Parts: sequence; structure tokens; C-alpha cells
Amino acid sequence: MTQESTAALNNLKVVDLSVGYAGSYCTKILRDLGATVIKVELPETGDVTRQYGPFLNDEPNIETSAPFLYLNAGKKSITLDVSNPQAIEIIKSLVATSDIIVESFHPGTMKSLGMSYESLSELNPKIIMASLTHHGQEGPYKEYLGSDITSYALSGYMYLTGDEDREPLKAGGRQSEYQCGLSGALSIVAALIGRLFSNSGQYIDVSATESLTSTFDGVGYFRTYEKNGIEPLRAGTRLIAREPSAAYPSRLLPCKDGWVHVHYSPSNPEGLAFLTGSERLAEDEVLGEMMGHADEIDELLTMWLSNHTREEIQTLAQEVRVPFTMVQSIDETLNDPQNLHRNFFVDIDHSHAGTLKYPTSPFRLRTAEWMTESPPLLGQHNHEIYMDTLQLSEEEYKTLSENRII
Amino acid sequence: MTDLALGKVRIADLTNVIAGPVSTRVLAQLGAEVIKVELPWGRAIGNITMHASGSGDRPYNQVTSFNEVNRAKKSIALDLTHEEGRKAFLELVSISDIVIQNYSPRVMANLGLDYENLRAVKPDIIMISMPALGLEGPWSQYISFGPGTDALSGLSSVTGYQDGPPHKPGNFYADHNSAFHVTTGIMASLYKRFITGEGQHIEIVLREATMSVIGEQFISYQLTGREPKRMGNEDLNFYPHGIYPCKGKDSWIAISIESNDEWEKLCIAMDLTDLLIDTKYLNVNTRRENSPTIDEAIKAWTSKRTRKDAMHQLQNDGVRAGAVSKASDLLEDPQLKSRKYIDQFDHPDAGPSSNPGLPFQFSTMESVEGIRAPLFAEHRQWVLGNLLGIRASTIKSLTESGTTPDVPIDRVYT
Repeated sequence: MTQESTAALNNLKVVDLSVGYAGSYCTKILRDLGATVIKVELPETGDVTRQYGPFLNDEPNIETSAPFLYLNAGKKSITLDVSNPQAIEIIKSLVATSDIIVESFHPGTMKSLGMSYESLSELNPKIIMASLTHHGQEGPYKEYLGSDITSYALSGYMYLTGDEDREPLKAGGRQSEYQCGLSGALSIVAALIGRLFSNSGQYIDVSATESLTSTFDGVGYFRTYEKNGIEPLRAGTRLIAREPSAAYPSRLLPCKDGWVHVHYSPSNPEGLAFLTGSERLAEDEVLGEMMGHADEIDELLTMWLSNHTREEIQTLAQEVRVPFTMVQSIDETLNDPQNLHRNFFVDIDHSHAGTLKYPTSPFRLRTAEWMTESPPLLGQHNHEIYMDTLQLSEEEYKTLSENRII
Repeated sequence: MTDLALGKVRIADLTNVIAGPVSTRVLAQLGAEVIKVELPWGRAIGNITMHASGSGDRPYNQVTSFNEVNRAKKSIALDLTHEEGRKAFLELVSISDIVIQNYSPRVMANLGLDYENLRAVKPDIIMISMPALGLEGPWSQYISFGPGTDALSGLSSVTGYQDGPPHKPGNFYADHNSAFHVTTGIMASLYKRFITGEGQHIEIVLREATMSVIGEQFISYQLTGREPKRMGNEDLNFYPHGIYPCKGKDSWIAISIESNDEWEKLCIAMDLTDLLIDTKYLNVNTRRENSPTIDEAIKAWTSKRTRKDAMHQLQNDGVRAGAVSKASDLLEDPQLKSRKYIDQFDHPDAGPSSNPGLPFQFSTMESVEGIRAPLFAEHRQWVLGNLLGIRASTIKSLTESGTTPDVPIDRVYT
């Protein structure tokens, strides 16, 4: 069976006007689930992500940006200068036959361009439109600018990441923008289900900052403050819960050749003692108040860990059902036996970047092979979309190109 | 007609801890009827009660973590190792759309509840497995929780201070990230099932969801031949980009300057005339090379202001800035208030609480807010009696045998 016949969202068409990581990840998910994504990019420069390195051989090139390549595999790229009124008509004609439109302009921009949800839904009452911004479309911060780090900060997550005696720390990569894109995809699919019953579209307003705050569910974040007046605070690599009775350990610790993540064993509390040979770790006093003995537990574990390599530790621990895992580099992760077995990374060829191993997707349904189409060159699908889909004449296409609208 | 996306959907939820329950919490808020099938010994993991704040008669109803991630659900407890419990569960499956579980790969098979068993009673059932590392492969039997997959996915390797060892995002980032991917995958399968009538078994792997949100790092490594560095709070493409101390204890602001135009706005906002008129700074690399000078100048300005004042002032001057918020900041945050983001409700045993809400708003579809988590087995009568049509006398004997307890029973370790 091919992907086309089994993918959940096949036959759905997405017009992606967004720039940056959030919108790109949102439509990457929709693409991974089978939708056709038409990425609308500015002529010459393209999506801003194309400007972000690293690049092949460290030479800036809009066709070899690492984040662009990752986020856009399998999408179609057309160029279009949205500041031009003629461009708006083209987008509208795409919207008329599409299911979903994703944008990430500053709040109010779509309206000023004549593309408010109201006007687009008049053209196509079934259209689902998602706006992805840092703070949302309404409210006192709607005019505020944002970036990954400012949303990470404002969401509260930064105060929870890093060492207690140092400045707060951002997670690697661009997690607020990824979470925003993910929330966008989630809410779009919900709206698709709603549309099956209502037969009408939906406007969705997604906030990157709120997307990260949403990850605090289940850790007593607000309750700790409301009940005890304590601000939850970063705790190194430990979890933020500090009651003496809280479960422990869960943190990174050094070993003979690097670092490992050590974790308590819920179904096998004596496992730590069994693994390390430290009887103290099985004593009721310790097991009854694990967080209360955190420093001592760290010390006992480190003594054992320092005599073993990461791989030994992971293997020995897992053999006795203790959930220790090793810290892997990016290179090691690309090549670990589990990822190799599952073909999580697949080769995709690209005319400028060459053949690289791309992460596939967590949505590889068991009945479907993941698509291995390359990320698009800037404007690669202009001819297909403008001539075949929108049926422009040679003449019109030429004029648009000459006027640098496409 | 319902205004909830999932108003016609029923979910039998066997998940525990964070990732699974968060994904069904979101589905419940989107309108699904989520029936949480709890463990007979209640809301503890092994012998460890998560974030216990309980006291009084029913401490098991006061587990903070549970009450947060199980909002808007219904609860029964079933011992699935009892044949009667398994039978009742399969009856529930036969009138459900989705079965979700996050046990380690062997558990469902041992219970005789794998996909084939479920499909036999409900041919179009959608079953979700959410293993840490995958149902197949050399590491499939490994146990890992969300925080441990930060390590195995490469996320720890690229997180950390520039001069420090690998680090990780605070909290259960991987679990939440996985939860939202699972929710999306479930709804995509459901969308397809509404169209084709076909169910399926889907697997969403926790670690794969984490690798997916650092995907560019794998491409970066291959393009440059270099292992990506830990960047701390810096960014490869922008400078200044980081956090600066503000007035007050442990008080900080994040600032990101993403163009020369924004650099000039920063200089104007902070009155940094010397830097503004020096055109050599109209280049991100030059700015980075002169980071001590620039950072000192910014610090001198931020440290005289509170984090909130600094943010408002900088934003009014067109600079990307965000206060490093604490819990109390978020509870008072005018933006979150105006968007009614925080989900608040009262709970008879645990009292009032504030919880993170949904990070998206629909124009016409509704979502479920302000509904607390169920008490232990609160919907036992309703599910077993009303939904499954089991007679009261049978429910009574099932309760007595511990198959469907109404209060948590002592766990017997085997």
C-alpha cells in the first residue's frame, strides 16, 4: 500500500503563508499525516528559515539551511510577494480550493492585506485558518514582538530550566516555536473533525508562549505557589518537585565516559540497590523519603557510575528493570541500534544539500511507509501550481515573474 | 449538533503518570468522553505517590499531579488481571472509539488485550500505544520515562550552558511533547476513520517525538560534520540574544535582536548612543565579537528595572523582550487573564486550583474548561450500570471481590 491511500489527511490541501519554525513545524506535521502543503515564500529570499544556519560547508545558502531542510521535506514551494495586491488574488484563488491556511504574521496583518478569516471564509466557508504568534491575536500583549527565547522566558519554562545558582537556561533548539507549531497542528486536526459534522470551517488562534506553559500540567506548578507560596524553581537536571517524599532520583549524573540519566524504578524500588550493590539504597529510611535523601543517593550512585561506561550502565540497569539511559550525542543518536532498526532516519536526496539522513516523523503509522520527498528549492513548484493548478496563461505567468511578484 | 470537536467520541483510557493522561486530558477538553480505567490500588506509581498533598479521609483523591492531568474525565477502577474485570473492560471497548495505554510493550499482550483482542469486540477501534522507545527493535524492552528520553534523543546533548555538561529542560518536557503529538495522531486517525470506517493500531514513540523537535540538529551535524554545540542562551544567527539580570532577587529578562533595525531600536530604547552611532555594530558578527561591551551596557540598563517594567518599556520601543516569569507572574499576567488561559475549578477533596489551559482558541468550536478530575471510581455506577448494563447485584459482588473497587485497595506485590 502506498502512503497516498493510507495517510490520514490525504486529499487535504494546506496553504502555508507562515515563516519561521512554528508554522513550518505545524505544516510539517500536516504533511507527515498526508496533506499536500503549498508553501508560499517571498521571491529571492524565501522563508526566513532559509537564512538560518548551519549551512552546508558553513556557506550561507538559502537552499542548504539545516532547519529549512528539516522542516520542509515534501512540501511544495511557490514564490509570491504578498505585499502586492495581485498576490492577494492568487492566494485567494488557492484558498478557494484548499482546506487549511496557516499564517504567522503579526496580529492584524492578514486583515490589512485583505485576507481576514471572515473574508477568506466567504470565499470558502469550509476553510480552517490557524494564526500562530508568540502571544496570541488579542489581549494587552498582542502588539508585543516575540522570539523563541522571549516566549520560553514568558511562559515560565525558563525559570524552571538550568542550575539553581546560575542564570535560567533555554532548552536546546527552539522549543517554544516547536510547541506552537505542534499546538497548531493539534487544533487544526480537531477543527477538521469538527468540520465533518458542522460542514463549516474554523479560525484558530495559537500562542507560542501558552503552548509552553501548557507543558506544566501535572507537576503542581501553580498549586505549589497557591498553596505554599513557593515559586517553582529550576533544579539542575532534577525534577522540580522538592517534597522529601517525592520520587527520586531523576537526573543526569557523570559516569566513566560521559553522562547518564538515572531514574527511580517505580515497579522495582529496590532495583537501585540491586544494581549498584549499595544496601543503603534499599533501606526504608531512604525509600520512604527519597527526595529527602537526594544528595546521598547521588553520591552512592556516582560511586558506582564512575566505574562504568554509558553503555555498560544502560545495559546492566535495563537488565534488572532499572530505567537508566545514556546521554547520546547527535551523531550517536543518528546511528543507535534502535533508530537503525526502526529506520527512524531515512536518506533523502536534495540537489544542493546532497543525500542526508532526515528524521522521519513520530506519525509513521504502521500501515504506511514514510514519504521520502526532498525539501523544495525556492519556487520549485511555481510552474506546477501557477500553470497546472491555477491555470494561469503563459502570458500572465510571465508578467508576474517580470514584475517580481512571483 | 454539538459545538465540541469530539462530542461524539468515547475513549477508554488506561494511561498513567503524565504523557498518556495529558493527551486524553486535551481530548476530554475537546469534548471526548474519556473514561479513565484506574488501577485498583489507586493513584500511586509503584510505592511512590506523586506530589502527594493529601490528608484527611480520602488522601487518594488529593494527589495533585493526578488531579491536574485528569481534568474533565470520568473514573472507574478495574483489576484487569481478574477475568471479570477484563470482560467488563472489553464491554467498554465495544462501545468506545479509542483505547489508549502507555504500559511497557509486554503488558497489554500479557493481559490478553492486544489490538487483535480489542478489534474482535470493536472492529473499527483505534488503539494507541505510546512506548518510550518503540514496540519493536533491540531497545524495545527498555524502560524509560520522559526525562530519560531527553538523554537518549540528543536533546540533553544540545541543552546546557556553553561551559557546562549536558543538561535538560526542567520538568517533564518530553512527556508533554509526546502527549500533544499523541493527541494529534489520535485525532488524525479518528478523522480518517470517520471517512473510511477503518480503525487502526497506532504507535507514537516518546523518544521519536522528542527527536522530531530537534530535527534540525541531525541535519546540521551532517551538513557541517560537527557535533552541534550547547549554545546556552545564545543563538547561532542573532546577537544580542540571551537573558539579563533585572532588579530583584533571581529576576531576569530575555532579549533577542534579530536584525540591524532591531539593534538600533535596542540602542535607542536603552539610550546607548555610543553603540548606536558606531556603524561597525550593524553586523551581527561584530556585535558577537564585542559581546563583553554590549552585554555590560545592556546589563547596566536592565539591572535598574524590574523584569516587567523592562519588558514593557522595551516592547513599547519595538524590541523583542520577555520577562523570565515565575508562577506568581503567570497567575497575574494580564495577557493570560484577558485570554482566560488558566483553567480554574474547585475539587471537593483537594480544594480550588489553577491549571494550564489550552494554548489555542477556536472561533466557534467550544472546549471544556473548569471541570475537575474525577474522584477515585466516581463513575463506577454510571459506567458499569448505565453504560454497560451490568446489574446492581453483579456490581456489588465485583466490588467485594476487588475487581472494581470503590476505594483503593492495598497493592499486593507479586
